[in-house]
Amino acid sequence: MNPHLPHATHIAVRDGHILGVGTAENIDGWQKAWGPLALNRDFADKTLLPGFIEGHSHMMEGMFWDYHYVGYYDREGPDGTVWPGLKSIDEVVDKLKEIQANRKDKDMPLIAWGFDPIFFTDRRMNAADLDSVATDCSVIVLHASLHILNANNFVMEAADVKGADNSEFIRRDESGQATGEFLGQLGYYMAMRTTGINLLAIASSPETLVNFANVARQTGVTTATDLVNPMPAGSENAMRQAVDADDFPMRLVVAFQGNSMEPAEGVARMQELQTSNSDKLRFSLVKMVADGSIQGFSARLKWPHYFNGAPNGLWYIEPERLGDYLKAFTEAGIQVHVHTNGDECTEVTLDKIEEALRAHPWPDHRHTLQHCQMATRAHFKRMKALGVGVNLFSNHLYYWGDAHINITMGPERAARLDDAGGALAEGVPLAIHSDAPVTALAPLFTAWCAVNRLSSSGITLGNGTQNISVEEALYAITMGAAYSLKMESEIGSLEAGKRADIAILADDPIEVGAEKLKDIIVIGTMVGGQVHINQGRSA
Amino acid sequence: MTHIDIVPLTIISGFLGSGKTSLLNHLLTQSAGRRITAMVNDFGALNIDAELIAAKHGNQITLANGCVCCSIGDDLMRSFMEVMQQSPLPDHIIIEASGVAEPSRIAGFASVDRQLRLDGIVTLVDAGAHNVHSNDPYLADNYAKQIEAAHLLLISKPDLADAATLENLQNELAAQKPNVPIAQMTHGMLPIDLVLGLNAAEEIRQPHDVIEHGFMQWATHLPPQPRATLIAKLENLRPHVLRAKAVLQDDEGAYVLHLAGGRISTEPHEGVASGHFVLIGKPQMPDATALEKIFRQNEAA
Repeated sequence: MNPHLPHATHIAVRDGHILGVGTAENIDGWQKAWGPLALNRDFADKTLLPGFIEGHSHMMEGMFWDYHYVGYYDREGPDGTVWPGLKSIDEVVDKLKEIQANRKDKDMPLIAWGFDPIFFTDRRMNAADLDSVATDCSVIVLHASLHILNANNFVMEAADVKGADNSEFIRRDESGQATGEFLGQLGYYMAMRTTGINLLAIASSPETLVNFANVARQTGVTTATDLVNPMPAGSENAMRQAVDADDFPMRLVVAFQGNSMEPAEGVARMQELQTSNSDKLRFSLVKMVADGSIQGFSARLKWPHYFNGAPNGLWYIEPERLGDYLKAFTEAGIQVHVHTNGDECTEVTLDKIEEALRAHPWPDHRHTLQHCQMATRAHFKRMKALGVGVNLFSNHLYYWGDAHINITMGPERAARLDDAGGALAEGVPLAIHSDAPVTALAPLFTAWCAVNRLSSSGITLGNGTQNISVEEALYAITMGAAYSLKMESEIGSLEAGKRADIAILADDPIEVGAEKLKDIIVIGTMVGGQVHINQGRSA
Repeated sequence: MTHIDIVPLTIISGFLGSGKTSLLNHLLTQSAGRRITAMVNDFGALNIDAELIAAKHGNQITLANGCVCCSIGDDLMRSFMEVMQQSPLPDHIIIEASGVAEPSRIAGFASVDRQLRLDGIVTLVDAGAHNVHSNDPYLADNYAKQIEAAHLLLISKPDLADAATLENLQNELAAQKPNVPIAQMTHGMLPIDLVLGLNAAEEIRQPHDVIEHGFMQWATHLPPQPRATLIAKLENLRPHVLRAKAVLQDDEGAYVLHLAGGRISTEPHEGVASGHFVLIGKPQMPDATALEKIFRQNEAA
């Protein structure tokens, strides 16, 4: 991604940084000043790319591996174990039965995650399915979206929800019986109250951090974000200790949860956090959440709102208060990333950013809209004018593309979902992301989504103008993300002086091409000069 | 089945600047023996007198009167988890919803937690800003939902609006929510029982009536009477009665009656019926003598 030298055969590393990139002839030159360099040919037949940067993920990904993965796709755990994808509801139930039969504490809650009903169109999972796993302990299956969960009758009885009249979050069958499926955060609350397990605890234990780093590392990631963390007083110390450890295989950028305190206090807390910054751990930005999700019908949309007639979604903060926060952080010179899903939310957030910038001009603020899934060309033009960047949720195209065409947005508006091509055409700095654990963390898959724009049923979203090239997608998952984090002078490309962060791939993505981009095998990574090889792969 | 404590939940909803914080401040400082836990968006705005604060710890403030105030910090679920794991549980939980929250969604917490009971949703309507809010290009739908979800509508800052505006607003709200009591509130002042129900008002030494912040409260003891009769008498007093609670006896046994948010409900009462009866209403409600007459008759009026 170095424009002066897009391709090279040799790279020299010293003290965690890149000494030089070039050809065999350059080696002598490097050695003259820096002493002998040992030539390592381990990766001579591999492709080295700048380490991938996941600009929107959550450390919670690391926590879920304490539970049992039951997703549709194979997924690699932090220890390198591959959890095979389960291709039907029956396979999921059988897997849970097997887990229940083999575990020691059979009365403890059994919690699984990653279940994705979009792949099972014939029927939905119900309480009877999970009763067949166990009737005398809680059995809870979290959906991949993190917006829905299934529970067995044990949970429903403990929570006393069978007679509850509130139907917004309890799915009922035609006879009015609760099916065991719960929507939104209330389902989580119920599961947590009945099991006593905090499923969504602030993910900051050292084990969680290490798990998260290992999951990311296996996909070629050398820098990932924890894109919202309330950072209770003192929590940075344990985090610093874990991340700064020599064998911690990744850099971590933590976004402070802006509205966890009042604007002025938040500014002070950010300034305090920044004194804990190190080579591998950064507190450099603030995250604000302005609306909900499209598939959860809680994103704020412009008229005519939802395709299926559902009422417009939710503001997660008063626009006026969002404006207050943006002003305070802008005045203090602190970068803000704002979660906006619906187009109305994007528009209002741009209004508020504009107000903040009129009050406190700041040429290179680089405030960034995260997700920003329904932005129009008009929005991108404004973003360009205001100096606002975008990090699009490209994985959505695949996971919820069909739902957006048929239910939430309709075919016309779904065409412009996560319009990476539009962003680049209008000159908006672009990154793309997974929002792990909402979808699987794997930048090459995210790149594949942005390049191909295929839904899980194989439908192409848009007319081609929204697609980006393989090169553009690779840029987005390296330099694009680095730029969004204001780290482009340190990471994101392989060039002399930058950090020695490398993704080691079995094949060259340009040669492999658009279609098979996601299938490229990641051999390992180098982070600050240290090599980490994936289990089962050899150099 | 073992006894479980059930905590009533009150949600205070309304736009930014509608007076939620003033109301909450009043409720917390005049809690009348209730150990209230309030979940708020922002401590700072609450502006509680320093001398009333007993302890400040992280995201929690404990008041000298036993009330606790904790900041939600964007995570209502986590706040609920923390509060509901306390022992003993609070007597009452109040949530100060954000200006854009849908209170009916927050109420959902009570339906998935057997230890929570929704006492009511109180929505504040700013007398002077109603027209602006109901026409806001981005927030009007939200505003309508907050009014729609209310069990009690409080018109705040009536002193800042002229009489015609106030009357129009009153009529508009009454048309939209015909069964929901509507009252006016100045500087957050109103009888605490109007907002928080009458659960703690069991200790009645002798019948009395008081006018507090422009509302009338009447408390007495009543002889046993059929619940249908009592309900019929209360129905006749609408719309002047805003809340009522009775613990009485009839042929079916001891029962508790609640009138809150325009709904009358009864449930069996464990133990002996005390005969306590409390009413809160508007000044237009019949006076104590008239009420005595109505409720001491053994036939429906």
